[in-house]
Amino acid sequence: MNKTQTLILHNLNKAKGQYISFGFIICLTSLIMNIALVLAFQTFRAYDSRFSELDTADINCMIPQLQDDSEIIDKLEKIDGVLTVEKHGGVFVMATVREFADSDFDMNTVFYNLDEARTLNRLDLSEYEKKDKNTAYIPIYMKELGGFTEGENITYSIGDKDDTYEIGGIVSEMQYGNYGTGLIGGYLPAAAYEDFANKHSEHIITEYSLRTADNADLTKIKNAITEVLSDKGIAALNISDRAASKQTRTMVCTLLIIIFLALAAIILAVSIFLSSFRIRSTIEDELAQMGVLKAVGYTSKLIIRSAVWPYTLVGIVSTIIGAALSYLALPSVASILAIQSGFIYTPVFDGTALLIVILLPVSAIFLFAYLSARKIYRLEPIDAIRGKTGNGNAGQNILLAALSIGIMVLLSFAGTLLYNVSVKPDNFMDTLSEESPSVIFTTQKDKMSGLKGILQDDSRVKLALEYASTSVGYADGSLTAFVCEDFGKVTNDICYKGNSPTGEDEIAVGNTLADKYPIGSKIEIMVSDSSAFYVVTGYIQSVNHNGKVCQLTSKGYEKIGEKINTVNVYLHDEIAGEFIAEYEEYQDALIASSLNYEQLSENGRKMYAGIVSVVAVALFVISVLMVLLVLYVIINSMISRQRQEFGIYKAIGYTSRQLTIMTIKRFIPVVACSSVLAAIAGIWYLPAINRTIFAQIGAIKNHFEVSIWILLIIAIIFAAVAFFISVLLAAPIKKITAYSLLKD
Amino acid sequence: MSKQTVISAKHLKKSFGKEENVQTIYSDLNIDIYKGDFTVIMGSSGAGKSTLMYSLSGMDKPDGGQIDFDGTDITQLNSDKLAVFRRSQCGFVFQQIYLIDKMSLMDNVVTAGVLTSRNKEDIKNRARELFSLVNIPEMTWKKTPSQISGGEAQRAGIVRAVINHPNVLFADEPTGALNSANGTAVLDVFSSLHEKGQSIVMVTHDKKSALRGSRILYIKDGEIFGECKLGKFEPDHAERTEKFEQFITEMGW
Repeated sequence: MNKTQTLILHNLNKAKGQYISFGFIICLTSLIMNIALVLAFQTFRAYDSRFSELDTADINCMIPQLQDDSEIIDKLEKIDGVLTVEKHGGVFVMATVREFADSDFDMNTVFYNLDEARTLNRLDLSEYEKKDKNTAYIPIYMKELGGFTEGENITYSIGDKDDTYEIGGIVSEMQYGNYGTGLIGGYLPAAAYEDFANKHSEHIITEYSLRTADNADLTKIKNAITEVLSDKGIAALNISDRAASKQTRTMVCTLLIIIFLALAAIILAVSIFLSSFRIRSTIEDELAQMGVLKAVGYTSKLIIRSAVWPYTLVGIVSTIIGAALSYLALPSVASILAIQSGFIYTPVFDGTALLIVILLPVSAIFLFAYLSARKIYRLEPIDAIRGKTGNGNAGQNILLAALSIGIMVLLSFAGTLLYNVSVKPDNFMDTLSEESPSVIFTTQKDKMSGLKGILQDDSRVKLALEYASTSVGYADGSLTAFVCEDFGKVTNDICYKGNSPTGEDEIAVGNTLADKYPIGSKIEIMVSDSSAFYVVTGYIQSVNHNGKVCQLTSKGYEKIGEKINTVNVYLHDEIAGEFIAEYEEYQDALIASSLNYEQLSENGRKMYAGIVSVVAVALFVISVLMVLLVLYVIINSMISRQRQEFGIYKAIGYTSRQLTIMTIKRFIPVVACSSVLAAIAGIWYLPAINRTIFAQIGAIKNHFEVSIWILLIIAIIFAAVAFFISVLLAAPIKKITAYSLLKD
Repeated sequence: MSKQTVISAKHLKKSFGKEENVQTIYSDLNIDIYKGDFTVIMGSSGAGKSTLMYSLSGMDKPDGGQIDFDGTDITQLNSDKLAVFRRSQCGFVFQQIYLIDKMSLMDNVVTAGVLTSRNKEDIKNRARELFSLVNIPEMTWKKTPSQISGGEAQRAGIVRAVINHPNVLFADEPTGALNSANGTAVLDVFSSLHEKGQSIVMVTHDKKSALRGSRILYIKDGEIFGECKLGKFEPDHAERTEKFEQFITEMGW
């Protein structure tokens, strides 16, 4: 190092601007990378830690209190793998939450007595506490997404009764704190709960919360619970477990981590390209000087070291700064995630993440800088001094084409994501969820055909389809079964390989079962004491059920279970609210219950759109910054290399404007062509990228629409922005004069 | 007493180009360079003066032959070993000077000095002495090449070339890019160094520069066509100048 110290410092000093821009981009890479890694390392750990801290049960099961008896707890305690069982009271209702995110939102809600003694599923109350007869506590999710704050009123409409409470505080808990699980908690002080329970006594439930052994198979235990209950003729209102809750509540975080890591990888690739370009360009520009260094006795290794170390040093410093800065952004990112996850934690310093954030980019920078500088080995001092140079321009344009394509991939991904969340939200929701009708009606089994007939005659109805989600068993536990009269009519085809079942002996299974049950093999499905074998016809995806799902035709399901009693209603227009109200009023004999799924989807979409928009805007900003930095490095290098040439042109009468256009024309066509090509190629590569990213959260079949027009617009904007940035960056050409060349 | 040979080149071959376009510079050239001599290589344009000098210094590899440089056959060394060899054995002064831009004169010199010495202060002390020798004032040491005159830059180039006490100082048209006054100042430095015992090999087609040499070699048709021993340079030495003029006239200059 001693031998090259002066040269390294000289190189750093000579191209300060270039190194600062390079440092900035590396800083950005490490900032994003550190956020992703800290989230990856800490969110799931924080979730588990909070889970343990609040002694959350591994499984919660709700049954109507009327059907409860003292034997059940004994039988549950005897299930293999169960350590403790605790009983809680509650009221389980479908409540319409008024003014939830400025809209009314139907939510399956379970209300608890805040003051009931409990050792499992403990509740952590916020500092703001006000407990009286008219106060209610809400989960963080309701506060963050619904826009409710402490001290405000919240109204729950249950049937035709309204219950309005002042929000007395916020509850942090780990089981029902997120509606992604299909159930949300509500918490009332003892006095308020007593009144509420009396008012809705028909909905009072008993909740059994089970703590299981560490290695227990939750699915087996859930099956055993179902067996205990069905022996007594009880159908559970809800059975949830910690694994499904965790996956649902951390889904956006997982997605964000993947996107951030991909983004960091792209920016890192761009910065590596930049450093390589700079080194190659330096070799071209300073060929004679390198020849002189060789002449005075510098070996190739020493010269390479003096070219590579500045980038490596800048890389080390920038990654440390970027990682440090990420800790300023992490609390905000964590709070955005809290909107979806429903639990808040403060990310802390992570040594492992820091080590990766420093080592990975710095090693890559070092390696690629070395590979670029290796050319120096072949440099003969005499050739260098005599100025035998290669043609740097071709390399520059190849590099620029690669960079433009890289940035276009980023922009196309962001644009497609935003388009499918904001403009075509159904595509986004179809990717992350299962069937999305407008309304779901539950009827009596013998009244199904009557209700369907009325619905099919209603001109507002596009389609009425018998469809239900129910629980079935198989050899290794339980599955959520999607039962439908005709999967050919569903609006969201979740089958990603093979086909959905069409016959009564056919089944499509979730991705978790794919390895064990190849297409064409048979699987035994059970409901209570009945069972039947079905032939696997395909594989389906599921984000919300850990891939433990299956599809059965109605006739196929009826071989082992009872006829389904729910119908999905697809409306032409978004009128689900008034449609339900009308049917509940005029067809009340046919309808047992109804669900405004349109609203449910809309709220889900709002939540995801908010997060995705932030991510997409961040991607756009980062892309523009990268374009700016890349063009700065390239134009700067071109101007310094052709300074003399520009001076000569000026001496013979060229204007600065002509020279600026002349300079820009050397690479803007490359940028424009590459971006248009990348846009067109996006039709092929974007579905692959989307599939790969979303497959990480279980969404193997991606419904995103890749619009060629959107991609072409992005490409044109990108080329235009590159052009205007280039004109601005080429401004120093104005300062070059023939006279200044004489002075040089 | 016979002079000690510092470089002895035998049967040197060198050509440029490929196949039909081969241009042979020399096919069997023999030359000896002696310690303490100020050897000047002259010849017409394209005669291969610089090519020969760069071959002798290990900057360029001949196509064939052997070059014994103070006991080392440098034709057998790879490029890195040649670089290490040049550190202590050779100093170079170029026509285009080639100081590193945006680096102070002192740093330019130190950059070469650190290759043979670990003590930066020692290097700087020697650099100061040499700067004084070549008449570059202290206020200029911190300036960059673009802030000084061509003559000063070339004298700083000489300081860089001799900072590591080279066995032989090679100079390729050192006054080629300078005006007359600056050229003379640079030549004075060469004479002064020669006076102190420095072996020098200079390539030039400038008579005024060549006259500073103690031994003149004339290259023609790929061989040493003539040699003239002038002895040490003495200004206004008419007899010496006349001998030189006669020699180059004989060579067909």
